[in-house]
Amino acid sequence: MANVSVAAEWQLLYNRYYRKPELYPMRWKHMDLSRNKVACAPFGGPIAVIRDDSKIVQLYSESALRKLRIFTSSGALISETVWKHPGGRLIGMSWTEDQTLICIVQDGTVYRYNVHAELIEPNVSLGKECFEQNVVECMFWGNGVVCLTEGGLLFGIPDFKVMSPCQLAETGAEDLPNCMAVIEPKYTVSGNVEVLVGVGDGILIVDEDGVQRVEGEAVQGPVQKMVVSWDGKYLAIFTHDGRILVTDINFKGVLLEYNCESALPPEQLAWCGLDSVLLYWDDTPLLMVGPRGDPVHYFHDEPLVLIPECDGVRILSNTSMESLQRVPDSTVSIFKIGSTSPAALLYDALDHFDRRSAKADENLRLIRSSLPEAVEACIDAAGHEFDVSRQRTLLRAASYGQAFCSNFQRDRIQEMCKTLRVLNAVRDPEIGIPLSINQYKLLTPSVLIARLINAHRHLLALRISEYLGMNQEVVIMHWACSKITASLAIPDATLLEILLDKLRLCRGISYAAVAAHADKNGRRKLAAMLVEHEPRSSKQVPLLLSIGEEDTALMKATESGDTDLVYLVLFHIWQKRPPLEFFGMIQARPLPRDLFISYARCYKHEFLKDFFLSTGQLQEVAYLLWKESWELGKNPMATKGSPLHGPRIKLIEKAQHLFSETKEHTFESKAAEEHAKLLRIQHELEVSTKQAIFVDSSISDTIRTCIVLGNHRAAMKVKTEFKVSEKRWYWLKVFALATIRDWDALEKFSKEKRPPIGYRPFVEACVDADEKGEALKYIPKLADPRERAEAYARIGMAKEAADAASQAKDGELLGRLKLTFAQNAAASSLFDTLRDRLSFQGVS
Amino acid sequence: MAQIPNLDNSPLNLKSLSREQSQRDLVKILKDIRGKKCLVIEPKLGGSLSLIIQTSLLKEYGIELRHLSAEPVQTDCTKVVYLVPSQRDLMKFISSHVHNDISKGLQREYYIYFVPRREIQCEKILEEENVHHLMTIGEYPLYVVPLDEDVLSFELDLAYKECQVDGDTGSLWQIAKAIHKLESSFGVIPNLRAKGKASVLVADILNRMQTEEPVSSSDMAVPEINTLILIDREVDMVTPMCSQLTYEGLVDEFLRINNGSVELDSSVMGVQQEGKKMKVPLNSSDKLFKEIRDLNFEVVVQVLRQKATSMKQDYTEMTTTNQTVSELKDFVKKLNSLPEMTRHINLAQHLSKFTSKPSFLAKLDMEHTIVEASSYDICFEYIEEMIQKQEPLINVLRILILFSVTNSGLPKKHFDYLRRELLHSYGFEHMATLNNLEKAGLFKKQESKSNWLTVKRALQLVVEDTDTANPNDIAYVFSGYAPLSIRLVQHAVRSGWRPMEEILKLLPGPHTETKRGSLCEQSII
Repeated sequence: MANVSVAAEWQLLYNRYYRKPELYPMRWKHMDLSRNKVACAPFGGPIAVIRDDSKIVQLYSESALRKLRIFTSSGALISETVWKHPGGRLIGMSWTEDQTLICIVQDGTVYRYNVHAELIEPNVSLGKECFEQNVVECMFWGNGVVCLTEGGLLFGIPDFKVMSPCQLAETGAEDLPNCMAVIEPKYTVSGNVEVLVGVGDGILIVDEDGVQRVEGEAVQGPVQKMVVSWDGKYLAIFTHDGRILVTDINFKGVLLEYNCESALPPEQLAWCGLDSVLLYWDDTPLLMVGPRGDPVHYFHDEPLVLIPECDGVRILSNTSMESLQRVPDSTVSIFKIGSTSPAALLYDALDHFDRRSAKADENLRLIRSSLPEAVEACIDAAGHEFDVSRQRTLLRAASYGQAFCSNFQRDRIQEMCKTLRVLNAVRDPEIGIPLSINQYKLLTPSVLIARLINAHRHLLALRISEYLGMNQEVVIMHWACSKITASLAIPDATLLEILLDKLRLCRGISYAAVAAHADKNGRRKLAAMLVEHEPRSSKQVPLLLSIGEEDTALMKATESGDTDLVYLVLFHIWQKRPPLEFFGMIQARPLPRDLFISYARCYKHEFLKDFFLSTGQLQEVAYLLWKESWELGKNPMATKGSPLHGPRIKLIEKAQHLFSETKEHTFESKAAEEHAKLLRIQHELEVSTKQAIFVDSSISDTIRTCIVLGNHRAAMKVKTEFKVSEKRWYWLKVFALATIRDWDALEKFSKEKRPPIGYRPFVEACVDADEKGEALKYIPKLADPRERAEAYARIGMAKEAADAASQAKDGELLGRLKLTFAQNAAASSLFDTLRDRLSFQGVS
Repeated sequence: MAQIPNLDNSPLNLKSLSREQSQRDLVKILKDIRGKKCLVIEPKLGGSLSLIIQTSLLKEYGIELRHLSAEPVQTDCTKVVYLVPSQRDLMKFISSHVHNDISKGLQREYYIYFVPRREIQCEKILEEENVHHLMTIGEYPLYVVPLDEDVLSFELDLAYKECQVDGDTGSLWQIAKAIHKLESSFGVIPNLRAKGKASVLVADILNRMQTEEPVSSSDMAVPEINTLILIDREVDMVTPMCSQLTYEGLVDEFLRINNGSVELDSSVMGVQQEGKKMKVPLNSSDKLFKEIRDLNFEVVVQVLRQKATSMKQDYTEMTTTNQTVSELKDFVKKLNSLPEMTRHINLAQHLSKFTSKPSFLAKLDMEHTIVEASSYDICFEYIEEMIQKQEPLINVLRILILFSVTNSGLPKKHFDYLRRELLHSYGFEHMATLNNLEKAGLFKKQESKSNWLTVKRALQLVVEDTDTANPNDIAYVFSGYAPLSIRLVQHAVRSGWRPMEEILKLLPGPHTETKRGSLCEQSII
């Protein structure tokens, strides 16, 4: 029976089963791991191999130069490169979380490679002390490293993304440590990396700030090897007297103790999941120790490399890759010899069903009540299976059972199929990523896709992301950039077509980013063609500038309507080009030109003048000069003392001259001329009156001020000088006289001659000054009865107002007057009778 | 009563989607800068913010509040946070502050948050002033401020000048962005009608934004806004030049409403405190104001009188006859509205001082004469006299613009004559004012025959016999003149542009009408 053969391969450790299926026969040839330094990335990642220069090995027919080779987990070569770095021996080599290979040599230099064995610049040094003292040991974790120098100092890079080295506290111990282990920053209380150092008779905890000695029953005597579990909660210790201990990370209690009968520490010590610890010596069987029961021995005839994973250990040998893991409960319940669990019966039922045996139905009847859990167990077990045919059988069993379940979550099987399809795809020896389902869930699909595209498996990545309904932008973007880098020989136009064909697959993808990459690779023309397809101007324009397409950038920015982008282009060109060229570029483009003028008006006055001169807009220069003259006037330094009036007048005269250059600006020219003249006259007036009250007032104000001061001659002079009309003159003089309440002079003025605009100014001035008596002198002289009526009304003479209004025969006016007198009831009725009479008249 | 309007009755969820979002954004900015800090706000922006968040709330985040001016900031805080609109001239203030601190040996951390977004032209000036590297620069994306439950403001008070005079259309991008942001809350607006050069440009930019960063219409079943109508101010310069005659309009004309409140002497409100100013909020949270704000002022006086009389009647009944408890309760309820009544009676009384002046009535008369385009000469002489009497320039310019716009400019002789009179009366520095007005087309030389009469007739802008108490036409707001822009909106809502293309062609700028949203999007895919 098939069931028996499955379980036959299992090993029992106390009450738990372990299995060690082969994942791949290694595809590499003539590999001897014992001659090499090997770095294997977890989560089924790549394997880096380089000849170990700390060992004396015999060279076969190979170059004396060492080669760094990178393989997939199935042993297929991804890339290789010759190792020629100075700096002494290679001490440590490990993969980071984002699959960068970190190599640390004796002098503390850190070299980084991607999976394509391309060196990532720049190289980083761990510092002067490392350089002088030499690095002797490196302890890596997913995202950092701690190094030990010959002098016993500890240095670290806490984050490979930042790559800034730091020194940890000095231990003060005289001897070099026996062993070390690292607790990742994410598992420590402080958030900084902590190093466990086995030195002398005990263990020290070292971090950036200090050293602390560990107390606990697990630490009695020197420690030879330590390793922290992947969740940072437990520590496995190999003691000087050959015992293996497992303790809680805070050294509280001993969870496991086993005497190995060998004082020689194991070469490799690794956690297998969280349930057991593996010890490897190259001359004895691999030892697996659990908390209880007898340990398990695995025989091997080749050197091994243990690769700890979150749910087990992968075991790499010269010829194969195996996975050692605890058998999941669901699998045990189905395949355990003699199992009568519902899941096992369901699995058996399928077998009967396939063989058309009636026993199938019998089985089903037996487990009817617990069918859902049986189905669930089959699905779960399928997930943990590497063997595709067994996955299929288990899923068929689940599906068969599900047909008899009424209330089972239907999409569970579908979901598992989806997951398994992805897993099987990446497990293919061609791809060589042997992820278990637990690892896959921990890693997340998006990281898996990122790893695939890093390994240039774009098609698979695209298919997976499409299959899982994820955004394909990342994949296509990376593909496009890689394609550009790799296609130096393809002409721009052809490459553009190839790229566009794929970029179109993804809406909203940033063409600008691809174009930027093309530009970085020295393909400016291709970049220009690509950026043409970018719909977002805010991304397009800066790129156009960086590839020198200034004209297009200016055009695109203008089209976008975003003035900020136009300014970006303007400032760029302004800085790069000589002024005349710059002026030429913007002159014919209204928006950039106006924006430039608007900015320069505020901040670059002189430069703006140059612009207007170069474009022949002399009147604009004139306006600028005129404005400057006003600013001189506003300047507090210039208000007192006349010497500054000189330059002001000169500026205005210059402006006047420029205005007169064109026919269309005669008015402005005349006005500037008058302004200059006015300033001169005002200046003279200030000198003669010794009062600084004239400059910068208007012509009308100047006249008023003269009259108020009693200087009628000067007022007259200003009037004739500027050809002030009689009308305006009358208004000004009347108001000025009213201001100083010189009613006699006002009356005299009214009699000088018949006023050109009648007596209204006189009435208004008196009414405004609240001089009824004076007003009455002029009201009767008003020619228009309506005006008379209103004037009477304003000084509160209702009867006279009414009379005048009725004379004017204006009903509307009467109504309005009534409103004015609304408070006064008597007056109001007066208007009512008048209006009635008026309307009556209107009818007749 | 709060100045921040109550938005509970708003037709859109402005409260949480617009105002509360803005509050959160601001609080986040302030929280992210740790410790005590001095917040320097540009005064105009401070006004807008008072409609978003109460200043007392800001103090909770350890903030000293200052207004931005040319004067250096006086504070003990080592962190200075500037919250300013992206305007070039303000950069000079800020850099002079920094230089001043440096010369005094003060070491401070500076933060600038630009509203609504950072702009290169401002940063360039900071660079040129050599302070850019000392600044931490961010942005506060405040694109719209809800003024009331049915009014949103972009707070772009310089936009018209920038567009018409300087040719700087930056504000149009901001408007488009603001609408785009609204669409992300309320769905893509399916109908878009635009009239005028700037409006069509805004529509273009808006559609561009929609293709660049589409608002996903899938999660919104039905867009909450049905139609977007964009009209250039340029299309209707007549209306803003006329004196407003509604209650709210008059308050604004004589006392100026800023950020939903009016500031006046406390004596107006019957509080006897010499020279003390007080702020009166004016928004729909005030029920009485909501009822009377849009009524013609004449009617408002009547309404208030009626209310006062009925209140008095109730009171006498209350004191003379026996009342049941429920009647008492009703009365007390009515009493609650007493403060609102007193407030508006006081305001109305104050306003009537202005409205009863003969000069005000004469001005209204003149405005009507101009709008009716009945007598060119009378209007011309009236304006000439205003200038010669040196009446406040702003009044003169308003009526002058009204005159020029309805006549599509003045004959060269009159144009030059009035310009000369203006310069003589108000000073030659106003040459720049005149130049700007000419650039904006507000006061210019006549080059073609005016089509105002045709427009006026076609859109029935002048309506005789409007019943201001029970109006059936919008013309009541100006006692006989129906605002041109309102007429356009009425047509746009009723029938769209198509039936009125002939009239639209008479007004400046192009017009467009587009259907947008999910339907179009699908056809693209």
